Amino acid sequence: MINLFDLLIMPFADFAFMRRALIGSIALSIGACPIGVFLMLRRMSLVGDAMAHAILPGAALGYLFAGLSLGFMTAGGLIAGFIVALLAGLVTRITILKEDAALASFYLISLAGGVVLVSLRGSNVDVLHVLFGSVLALDDHTLLLLAIAASVSLLSLAVLFRPLVLECVDPSFLRTVSNSGSLSHYGFLALVVLNLVAGFHALGTLLSVGLMMVPAFAARFWSSTLDGMILFATLIGVLSSSLGIVISYHAGTPTGPTIILSAGAFYLLSILFGQKNGLILRLLPRKHLVA
Amino acid sequence: MTKPRASFVQLKDVTLGYDRHPAVHHVSGCFEAGSLTAVIGPNGAGKSTLLKAIAGTLKPLDGTIVMGTDSPRLAYLPQLAELDRDFPISVEDLVGTGFWRKIGSFRRYSSNDRLLIDETLEKVGLVGFNKRLLGTLSGGQLQRVLFARLMVQDAEIILIDEPFAAIDTKTVSDLIGLVQHWHHEGRTIIAVLHDMSLVAEFFPDCLLLARECVAWGATSHILTPDHLAKARTMIEANDPHADTCERAA
Amino acid sequence: MLRRLTLCMLLGLLNGAPSHAAEPVAVVASFSIVGDIVRNIGGDHVSVDTLVGPEEDAHVFDPAPRDAARIAAAKLVVMNGLGFEGWMDRLMKASGGMPKVAIASEGVISHSATIDGHESMDPHAWQDVSNVRIYARNIADALIQIDPEHDGLYRANLARFDGELIALDHDIRSAISAIPAERRKIVTTHDAFGYFARAYGIEMIAPQGISTEAEASAKDVARIIRQVKAEKIPAVFLENISDPRLVETIAAESGARIGGKLYSDALSREKEPAGTYIAMMQSNIRELTKALMP
Repeated sequence: MINLFDLLIMPFADFAFMRRALIGSIALSIGACPIGVFLMLRRMSLVGDAMAHAILPGAALGYLFAGLSLGFMTAGGLIAGFIVALLAGLVTRITILKEDAALASFYLISLAGGVVLVSLRGSNVDVLHVLFGSVLALDDHTLLLLAIAASVSLLSLAVLFRPLVLECVDPSFLRTVSNSGSLSHYGFLALVVLNLVAGFHALGTLLSVGLMMVPAFAARFWSSTLDGMILFATLIGVLSSSLGIVISYHAGTPTGPTIILSAGAFYLLSILFGQKNGLILRLLPRKHLVA
Repeated sequence: MTKPRASFVQLKDVTLGYDRHPAVHHVSGCFEAGSLTAVIGPNGAGKSTLLKAIAGTLKPLDGTIVMGTDSPRLAYLPQLAELDRDFPISVEDLVGTGFWRKIGSFRRYSSNDRLLIDETLEKVGLVGFNKRLLGTLSGGQLQRVLFARLMVQDAEIILIDEPFAAIDTKTVSDLIGLVQHWHHEGRTIIAVLHDMSLVAEFFPDCLLLARECVAWGATSHILTPDHLAKARTMIEANDPHADTCERAA
Repeated sequence: MLRRLTLCMLLGLLNGAPSHAAEPVAVVASFSIVGDIVRNIGGDHVSVDTLVGPEEDAHVFDPAPRDAARIAAAKLVVMNGLGFEGWMDRLMKASGGMPKVAIASEGVISHSATIDGHESMDPHAWQDVSNVRIYARNIADALIQIDPEHDGLYRANLARFDGELIALDHDIRSAISAIPAERRKIVTTHDAFGYFARAYGIEMIAPQGISTEAEASAKDVARIIRQVKAEKIPAVFLENISDPRLVETIAAESGARIGGKLYSDALSREKEPAGTYIAMMQSNIRELTKALMP
């Protein structure tokens, strides 16, 4: 008889690296999933991926400079991300290019520059491998970084909440009543970068975008209010992480991608069975209300 | 509601434009304090541009805009709201953003504020709509919400750009009633409109704009066939071969 | 007149002989370890060209036309044998030349092992020092055959080198006997230490599941931690795993030490620490001792 306790709890009880993987990815979800909701609502879902590509070269440079140093790779990624965000914003404001073109231009340049720089120093296969991150190899320092990043992210989001929401809903109104429009915009992009850089230590940049975005997409089908979406997204992020780690333990699949696939499974189930706009709900006839 | 201080808006040889082509060309005049003025004119006459400049979101290419007080409370309802109707925000939260000047990014709404929101929703005919999401509203209902936000801002100068485009007649008449109410409260109101019958019936003053000022004054004097014909002869498109303007102030 | 002719021929021969003796014998060695042994035996009288150089991988070696040319120009080709140089036949055919080929491992007692996932002959015989004594003898015989002039020289070098090998073997054995018996086991991703394990009594355990290429799964990591804990393996040599952070995690949770670099089938480019065969074996036993001594 399959013992659910053995299946779900024992792996974490037996192994420290499993516990750390769980804590790390929960911290990541708490920080990143709310950001993902905003990205989705602002129709910036692909920005996460673009920023991930912008961050990669910065982290690669940090690695080339100082090896597998948490500090240097984090700093490199943050700096690269911030520079790209700033330049993109600047170009959008003072030239005719719109935000999507501006961001794409700089992340592409950053990525290409990164590849060249890395190849100058030798084999780029190793660097790319290292940049994949490993949620199974989170040491104390990395866990601390993840916890700090999540806390900073949540606090900043609370502070920026109102201008951020208004900037999404009615930016021209915000412009007439406040100067904080661009501050909240850049602040938001900075949070995206922060969460992606934190995520890249555990999942690698490309997968950490998955943890940021896919739970948000799923949450759309469970709530129609902003608060509700944020809550559901975070919950789904935490569940996907836990499930992904457990499945990787029993089935032997690579952990990072398994987490994202779990999120994907939740997403597909949400499309079908979600309580708001889920497909099954729309197909099943329900009596309408009185008023 | 505090009694609004009277505030005029004076245009001193204002030229506004995009990419150096003037959309508003050397316009001078004054919206007197407490006036209710309709800005009319053909397509591309620069009406929205003028409102944007008064609201402060567009810098003049030339000339200055002077207001009666140093930092008047100004409320601006733009034409096509860059409003994202799909964003999950409720009616009362959107109206609540009208309190921005007072509470900024952080301070909580006081219970008075909440009361005011309820009262305002009642005035615009949206009782019970507090928790409704933007995406569920009709065009008319959304416009009422935006008017509610205007009211909550308690502004001395109110700028509204084509507020009645594609809105049902009941809503239009309700909202015009509100505009008149603000006028009686002594606020300065500048509205861009297309519907001449509305202008003739409800707006004492009128600015006929066709890139340049064609006529400005009491509505009965402005809405003449001559004036309207002259406005229509204005060229709409930018002239790619235009020389730089040497006209003095 | 016949006497003058004979005198000329004799003089010619005499003139020819010294220059012939001064020219070193061109030898091509298949890879760096064999090349080093050849140098030890041949000394200044051989010029050794190595196909697979230090820190290169013989398994992925792809011969180029230039390599065929080197073989064609050589008097002697020395290879390991035992299936190590899968590309050698093709290369010999391509070179067209007819140098003598010496198989260094001739006479070595081999065993089969699982290499790269399948059963085959384990070619890494040099990891047992006593096998290298056989290598040296075979190489000396080959050199003597093509260059009998320096018979004495080669034998002298062989004797000296053999002495060094005996000393090396002795050092290795005493180092290992100093390690408590229950600690004589390591986890390693190398599959090249079979001969070492048999000769010197260190158990080489392959990590269950962890591949060097693919991304790790939690199952793999758990398995290897369980294995190390259960069998009380004191050290893990996992330098082939692409993510060193993973190795640290495994070591930390299982209580094992992380071992240094072990040289399996190539010398190091620099003289230190493994520029010659003897240096290489000394480096390996140093790393093993460091990791396994309590």
